[in-house]
Amino acid sequence: MAKAFKRTRKGITGHLEPAERELIGKLFGDVISMLEIDRKDEDPLAAMVGLDLDAAKPQDAALLRLLPDAVEHDDGEALEFRRLTERSLREDKLGALRASALLLEHTPLQLTDEQARLFARATNDVRLVLAERLDIRTDEDAQALHEIDDWSQAEDLETYLALVYNFMTWLQETLMQALLDGLERHSGREG
Amino acid sequence: MTVSMLPSCTTVLDADIETSRRTESSELTAKDVPWVVIVWNDPVNLMSYVSYVFQSYFGYSEGKAHKLMLEVHQLGKSVVATGSREQAERDTVAMHSFGLWATYQKADQA
Repeated sequence: MAKAFKRTRKGITGHLEPAERELIGKLFGDVISMLEIDRKDEDPLAAMVGLDLDAAKPQDAALLRLLPDAVEHDDGEALEFRRLTERSLREDKLGALRASALLLEHTPLQLTDEQARLFARATNDVRLVLAERLDIRTDEDAQALHEIDDWSQAEDLETYLALVYNFMTWLQETLMQALLDGLERHSGREG
Repeated sequence: MTVSMLPSCTTVLDADIETSRRTESSELTAKDVPWVVIVWNDPVNLMSYVSYVFQSYFGYSEGKAHKLMLEVHQLGKSVVATGSREQAERDTVAMHSFGLWATYQKADQA
């Protein structure tokens, strides 16, 4: 079984079983392939300056959750902003996901704070995508799903995804506690 | 505090933002309305994560980050930063890079 991330003298340490590493690596890979774009026909000048003149609001709800509109009630302004910024946002997310996939290979799993932040962002993006697939719309939806925790019940895709979602949530929560411990120590504040 | 979450800030776009901000600061007048960054609630982002992002990205105290996080959670949204348009845009993209759902707008429309 996986162990909670904890802050130790050696950094933030955790433990994952091989099957868990494989699962998380596959989830990172899935989100990476959602965010990657085939750019072989693109204008090299636009690429150089980081613009994406072809950017459009994603049709897929999960991808839209990863790359949301930055402006409300103004589709033109939102699209203009997307063309200026979406490319670097995609690359930023891909960077965190790819780095995290490599970190998964570390044995023991030992992270610096910087690595832990990348891992937390990658895990969060996986959870955003899973939540969209699971149709989690409200806190009540999330709560109802949270009670599914018996892997022997994983007989259908929905239950399986819910179990995976809950596992990733637990993992991220332990990572956040370890990261927050670091902020408190750093600034000398009381918990 | 670390602002290491946007490693890709080396594009021409960012250079332009820096230039325009410098120009703008000498031209600020009373009619300039500040811009705000709004973070919206969603059922996925962990309270601990949101609080950590507010502390580590904006450099807010634990107390302020916690208060803003609770506002997002309980009221559905919260204004988490105020400043120039360029800064609001930059902060909004940063929030998206963390997976938080954020928008920017003029303060008087918030």
